[in-house]
Amino acid sequence: MNWKNVLYLLQVDRKSGRLIRGIKATRYKENTFLAYWPYWAAAIIGVVGGLLANFIVAAIYSQGVPSGLQSIGQETFILFAVAPTLVLVASLIFTLLQQIQLAGLKASSQVMYWLPVTWQEHTLASILANLLGWPVALVTGLSAGIIVFSALNGMILQALLTVLIMFAVAFMASSITEALRIIQIRLTGAIYKSSGRGAIWIRLVGTLLFFIIFYIFYFYVTSGFSSFINNLTTAQTAAWYVPFIWPALLLSYAIKGLFLQAALFLALSVLFIAGLYYLAIALNKRFGLYEPPAITVQKSGLYVPKVGILGRFGFSTVEAALILKDLRAFTRRRELISVYIAPIVMIIIPLFNSIGVINNGAPTGQATLIFMAIIFVLPAGFMAMLLGQVLIGEEGQVIWRIYASPISGKNLVKSKYFFVVLFSTIILLISGIIGTLFYHPTVAEAIAGFIETFLLVLAIGSVSLTVGFKGPDFSQTRRARMVRQEWSLIGLIVSALVGAAVLAPLVPIVILSFIGSAGSTISYSLGEAVIVSAIISVVITGVFYRINIDMANDLLKKAET
Amino acid sequence: MSSQYAVELKDVTKRYNEIVAVNNLSLTIGTGEIFGLLGPNGSGKSTTLKMLLGLVPPTSGSVTVLGLDVQKQPVEVKQHVGYVPESANIYEFLTGIEYLDFIADIYGVPTAEKQQRITEYLKALQLEGREGDMINSYSDGMRKKISLISAFLHRPKLLLLDEPLNALDPRSARIVKDYLHSLKAQGVTTIMSTHVLEIAEAICDRIGIMYQGSILALGNMDELRQKASMPRSGLEDIFLKLTGTEDLRAVVEELTR
Repeated sequence: MNWKNVLYLLQVDRKSGRLIRGIKATRYKENTFLAYWPYWAAAIIGVVGGLLANFIVAAIYSQGVPSGLQSIGQETFILFAVAPTLVLVASLIFTLLQQIQLAGLKASSQVMYWLPVTWQEHTLASILANLLGWPVALVTGLSAGIIVFSALNGMILQALLTVLIMFAVAFMASSITEALRIIQIRLTGAIYKSSGRGAIWIRLVGTLLFFIIFYIFYFYVTSGFSSFINNLTTAQTAAWYVPFIWPALLLSYAIKGLFLQAALFLALSVLFIAGLYYLAIALNKRFGLYEPPAITVQKSGLYVPKVGILGRFGFSTVEAALILKDLRAFTRRRELISVYIAPIVMIIIPLFNSIGVINNGAPTGQATLIFMAIIFVLPAGFMAMLLGQVLIGEEGQVIWRIYASPISGKNLVKSKYFFVVLFSTIILLISGIIGTLFYHPTVAEAIAGFIETFLLVLAIGSVSLTVGFKGPDFSQTRRARMVRQEWSLIGLIVSALVGAAVLAPLVPIVILSFIGSAGSTISYSLGEAVIVSAIISVVITGVFYRINIDMANDLLKKAET
Repeated sequence: MSSQYAVELKDVTKRYNEIVAVNNLSLTIGTGEIFGLLGPNGSGKSTTLKMLLGLVPPTSGSVTVLGLDVQKQPVEVKQHVGYVPESANIYEFLTGIEYLDFIADIYGVPTAEKQQRITEYLKALQLEGREGDMINSYSDGMRKKISLISAFLHRPKLLLLDEPLNALDPRSARIVKDYLHSLKAQGVTTIMSTHVLEIAEAICDRIGIMYQGSILALGNMDELRQKASMPRSGLEDIFLKLTGTEDLRAVVEELTR
């Protein structure tokens, strides 16, 4: 093992973060202080957290040991014992998330495959690189906090052991992610080669399923965090045979002074981590080299052009071609498939939450009204916002094709806007039908829900497209953003304001439904509210559509930017 | 749209902050001419081609293509121009045929002609059998072929080709060269930038050698020889002499030391 090689590879990965952060690399000179900011910022937060924890604990224990609690040392050791498992879960989530975000990367750094680097060095560098960023920052922050608190309470040895085990566990999590990454390459490679058009659908559905399962898991772990910790201590001991728990058990036994058991779990932990590392090496050796596979979509033979149906809806050939191209992009490019995830998660999570609320015996009338509104409005509204923002930047470096073609600003805006509205409306239909079936609104409420959300989609789509034109990010970095961060944030705020404006006419009706209409002198029907919403939406849509055409013309003229 | 010149650049300058990419360039290229733009890396060839298509607005000066002002009528100009960029960055998520279909629709090629032309070009450049594969699996040469077909597909009056024969196999390169000659007979103007001097010498009617954003020498091979005072030399020697890089022996000696 040449450790210098590992270090060099790690440096390359760390420096690629410049591109991810959107740093302009022309004549770039790295500022070491700023380059490592997540780690020192985490350390500072950890130190402050440790001091604060010490202050609070000292206050609680100032009158002796409170009833229901054990001594400071015993309570701290319980937390220490669960820390490795928490770090394992968090590191797994962060490293997997990082890999998902890099899913669009076509040919990862293949350069290392022809350099004199061994698979052991490459795998180790890759595992460590997975940890860079949030996972290391998290462990650094926790470690700083634990060390400071423990030093002030005379538990420094136990703290140091905990810190050591937390880093080992983070490495364990990253090894698992590395192994999963390679397995994914192997599986998707097999799928690509297996068939033609079906491969695209398998990839689309597979990616969606992966994201959904991941986010549901993430949602459950984060939403039930406190009960998760409480149950962890007992669960850990009961599940001693699960290898992922072994480092936590080692720590637990070491703190209790049961050194024979600690030595046993130390040996088991070392063996397991080494096993994971060698598994990742073996997988890398066998499947790690990425070869772009050939997907055959059409069979060879005489080419027969298809007559599109979009022409019948008033779209020119140019506009129809652009829409069709974007449609293919959003079903074939993995990094774009992730755009669907937020709306789908926004359907699933309120559904699960509402089941919980209803099961807990909460008042169902207003609760279901709120959940229904969320399921109608949020997924489609978010879809319109996300699509509008990324539809220009997603062209990436191939934007030259748009610049070099006889496409007018009007063509571009019409095709892109239609695409936003089409996809958002599909999401609205799905979420609306689910909402209607699940919450049984009246016919009038359901129709109003569909119309209001459609009006929202029209307005947000138009506004978001302006954001997409204003702040496109055409750079194809490791993690393509497609819209500059500051504009993404502005887009979120403006979309929220536009959404509030379009839905504002419904507010009196919602208030009346909560307080009851008895005694109210307001005569205001749902139909009237929808008409007022329609006027607001049409005005916003029209104004921003005009702005979009001007901006598109400007973009096409200043093609170099 | 009638003009005696296919392309006219008048006092064109392009600056990127302090860098002058093209410096006060004036150039006319006649209809049906095959014009070669040569020059070392960074001499302004690609920027000039991009300005001709309106991809890069000039800092000063005017650019007229096929009698149209590129800045005022960009869409009309693009309608009649076929462009091949240096790097074949194309939509990788489309198949070859889907990409060509997209391009034909963008340029408004009638459906019946589209079918015939695409089939002919695919056959000529030996892409038959791979046209249904996604472009992300294509080699550089195959991508270049797709880029070339997409430039020819709508029967443009002007071709702007940036390193058009890079990565092509000898058979395809020969077909493209012969095809450019046959297009010339139909009045199609071609402006190509290349580093392969043999190609420029073989197929270009006139050659412009660019250096630091300006045209250093302009004319046919005889005129260039005359300008360089090298009556029996090939284009390579003329190019090296005019761009002041002819004394390469010392460089090679330094490398082999």
